[in-house]
Amino acid sequence: MTPATGPRPYWLAAIVIGIGLIWIWGASSLPPASRYAGIGPRAFPTIIGGALVLLGIILALQISRGMSFEAQEAENADAHAPVNYAALLMVLAAATLPILTLRTLGLPLTAMAIFALVARAFGSRALVRDVITGAVLGSLAWLLFDRLGLQLGQFLPIAGF
Amino acid sequence: MESLEYLMHGFGVALQPMNLLWAFIGSALGTAIGVLPGIGPALTIALLLPVTVSIGPTSAFIMFAGVFYGAMYGGSTTSILINTPGEAGSMMTALEGNRMARRGRGAAALATAAIGSFVAGTLATFALTFVAPFVAELAFVFKPADYFALIVLAFCSVAVVMGNSRTRGLISLFLGLGMGVIGIDNMTGQPRLTFGQAELLNGVELTVVLVSLFAIGEILFVVSRYDPGKEAPLVVSGKWMTKQDFSRSWRPWLRGTAIGFPMGTLPGGGSEIPTMLSYTLERKLSKHPEEFGHGAIEGVAGPEAANNAAAAGVLVPLLTLGLPTSATAAVLLAAFQNYGLQPGPNLFTSNADLVWGLIASLYIGNIMLLVLNLPLIGMWVKLLSVPKPQLYAGILIFALIGIWGVSGSEFDLMVMVLVGVAGYVMRVYDFPIAPVLIGLILGPMAEYQLRTALTAAQGNPATLIETPISITFLTVAALVFIVPMLVKRLRQRG
Amino acid sequence: MFLKTFLTAGTVVASIGTMAAADVSVMLPANPGGGWDGTGRQAFAAMNEAGIYTEGVNFTNTGGAGGTIGLAEFQNSQSDKPDALAVFGAITVGSIMLNSSPIDLSTYTPIARLTAEHLVIAVDAKSEIQTLQELVDAMKADPGAVPVGGGSAGGVDHIALALLAQSAGVPVADVNYIPQASGAETVTGIVNGTLKAGISGISEFQQFQDQGRIRILGLTAAERRPGLDVPTFKEAGYDVEIANWRGILGAPGMPAENAAEWIARFDQLNESEQWKKVLETQGWDAFYLSGPPFGEFIAAENTRIGTVLKDAGLVQ
Repeated sequence: MTPATGPRPYWLAAIVIGIGLIWIWGASSLPPASRYAGIGPRAFPTIIGGALVLLGIILALQISRGMSFEAQEAENADAHAPVNYAALLMVLAAATLPILTLRTLGLPLTAMAIFALVARAFGSRALVRDVITGAVLGSLAWLLFDRLGLQLGQFLPIAGF
Repeated sequence: MESLEYLMHGFGVALQPMNLLWAFIGSALGTAIGVLPGIGPALTIALLLPVTVSIGPTSAFIMFAGVFYGAMYGGSTTSILINTPGEAGSMMTALEGNRMARRGRGAAALATAAIGSFVAGTLATFALTFVAPFVAELAFVFKPADYFALIVLAFCSVAVVMGNSRTRGLISLFLGLGMGVIGIDNMTGQPRLTFGQAELLNGVELTVVLVSLFAIGEILFVVSRYDPGKEAPLVVSGKWMTKQDFSRSWRPWLRGTAIGFPMGTLPGGGSEIPTMLSYTLERKLSKHPEEFGHGAIEGVAGPEAANNAAAAGVLVPLLTLGLPTSATAAVLLAAFQNYGLQPGPNLFTSNADLVWGLIASLYIGNIMLLVLNLPLIGMWVKLLSVPKPQLYAGILIFALIGIWGVSGSEFDLMVMVLVGVAGYVMRVYDFPIAPVLIGLILGPMAEYQLRTALTAAQGNPATLIETPISITFLTVAALVFIVPMLVKRLRQRG
Repeated sequence: MFLKTFLTAGTVVASIGTMAAADVSVMLPANPGGGWDGTGRQAFAAMNEAGIYTEGVNFTNTGGAGGTIGLAEFQNSQSDKPDALAVFGAITVGSIMLNSSPIDLSTYTPIARLTAEHLVIAVDAKSEIQTLQELVDAMKADPGAVPVGGGSAGGVDHIALALLAQSAGVPVADVNYIPQASGAETVTGIVNGTLKAGISGISEFQQFQDQGRIRILGLTAAERRPGLDVPTFKEAGYDVEIANWRGILGAPGMPAENAAEWIARFDQLNESEQWKKVLETQGWDAFYLSGPPFGEFIAAENTRIGTVLKDAGLVQ
């Protein structure tokens, strides 16, 4: 265990403790016990919440002792490379976009935008090609899977079909 | 050997060209839809139900047999190639399978999955043909306490996917358990931790969490640390299983089948527990335990076989008793009822053509899928040579279609983003992913069986260790996992 | 022969491709393949075949929580629309109360109650309990020692058992009811002794009585059922009659003329040969009631189920 350099991520422990507390609080309004089981709907959430609080405290202690966190190894990703926040935000935007556009703009247009955004975030310069690929991929997927019965919404809602 | 005679008759039905065509259509459709994350055999068959009203029952069921197995093949392909397991049963496949693909052994991983599925499917169908009535009785033997003990045993699999830190592994596990209690409490009908959101009444959708943690989290992580200039040339070898791969795979296939098939026949069994147990078992038995976590072929062969055998096991109580023990079986039961048929012992005599035709087509479907999939492996593996920007963009789109296509709900898309971000943070700070899903899958099962057992016994905890089955499972769990841990401790002290 | 099948296959694949956008939207608040899903789709298929309504229909499946999730979405997106319908059933009534759902069924437009399945209560075939009377006596003596399994908490099975207890003078809160994850688990629970008895729809139990695994003691219908030699609850001396019914609702604020039109269409459907054939193949019992009388029926169920859930301590 090498001592951490840079800021210590106490916020991780805070989130874990926070979730634990929410679970304990959420369980407190439930009936404590069922008539016959001895344990009721409250038991499991309370135990889980308690365990999370405890684990969060342990994590905080580990962090204060200078525990380091090695990012996991993934394909094509250098765990020690500087973090590219612009690219990260771009993909996050691509993942959030469909919440707003899937129903209103339909799958093909949404897929087009996502494809271009993600490819750009990964450094692709071929914008036109990516836009076309995304639109084609989205349209083909819609044609295949919607017709097989998945509820993918309208093809192009703004045009009315 | 009365069954053999009937089976031959069944082959006579299933081998008619038109029925072969239906089997082929089913296999192809099943594979196509199974590739979408989140869409498994149950939903695929349910979606095809309205389409089949115009064809006869025998043909329809022959097609469903193809869909049934085809969807499983599709699921393992995405797990291995793009680390996106589509349903809970193929999660364990992703752990080792994707590592193999990254090391250029994708073809071998796909091949051991395909052949393992074939072996398991065929053996399980064999068991279905000849010993189904006896195996079906298992369903009546298992009590809630036994299920609870089985789930405790399955929980032990967490120990082998814990990662580098026990604290962080446990946090992952309890986060999964925490998500598992969201929704309506099935014992009292009361909403728990839904925070007034109607969408949460149904609980957090497992497949959404699965896809988001694996696929979305991975895309976010990779893009944040991606250097196009330094892209490692991925060895895309179409090279197949070597002799050594075979010798390392065949035992896991058989063991996976032996675990999966009987558990598939249980009403509370499912495919998740057998795949977890199979993975853990292979890891414990392997001569190369150090390879686990870095792409051990046993970790693909075993769970894949277990998954397919469990799926076939589901057919046992359905056909012999009319007892639907899984979501897929419930949909198949609805399909039978659409034709005014009631599965059960009578169906074997009243509709021998249909039942034996269906069983025969399970054999045929398996062979057909193997023949379809083995040549496709070369093509699938090429998928990995798609440039990374476009590959990851495509993965995001497919994850999205899977989630949106199942629920059509913006809420699930929000969960996808939130869990995806969590998956990113977990990768950055080295929290293991698999324990979250193990907690989310097993937690609700454990709570339900525990509370059922206690309610039926009016709160007497002794009920949990009253049957031989529960004692056996709990003892195995203790011997295999707790004892070695204590020994290790003692040695360190000494 | 081969060619013919090939053509059929072709039409099936093609029929997947011809689903057009439609002006009628039908909410099926259940997952594909379930009972409500079947009720909605089969009803409109029969209507189409009988030529009653042949335009396109757009189905939406949103499952979960006894239909309350789907109905909440339906209410948000389809209120005041002229041709928006939803399938629902007896389970929805209890679920709304249990989940404190904002849905108020009395604001919806009652169209038609279509089918029902009556419930039966059963014990293990080897059980010493031979009659409903004996089962109730056992419950009276020690309710905790008689765990009874069935569907979801607050669902029709649970309500039926509570009503039985009530009419026998057993406090509803003392009944040891254990909701099971599936009908399969109720059956296996009865047989392996976890449950002393189980309650479920006839179709889920009858075949297991035929197989000699369980013994059905009583039926919740008004009259005995042909082919099932089992007394009704009423015959056994308990004034309980309850069914797991399914029906069709119009969106809140549906214009009166559209409502009248849809009621007329379902009246026609109920008389049609095509619908009778569906009922026969699916094994559903007709339980038809349409228009305002159906609305009164829903209100009555609402009161009855609400009282039982309060007595059981599930709803404040």
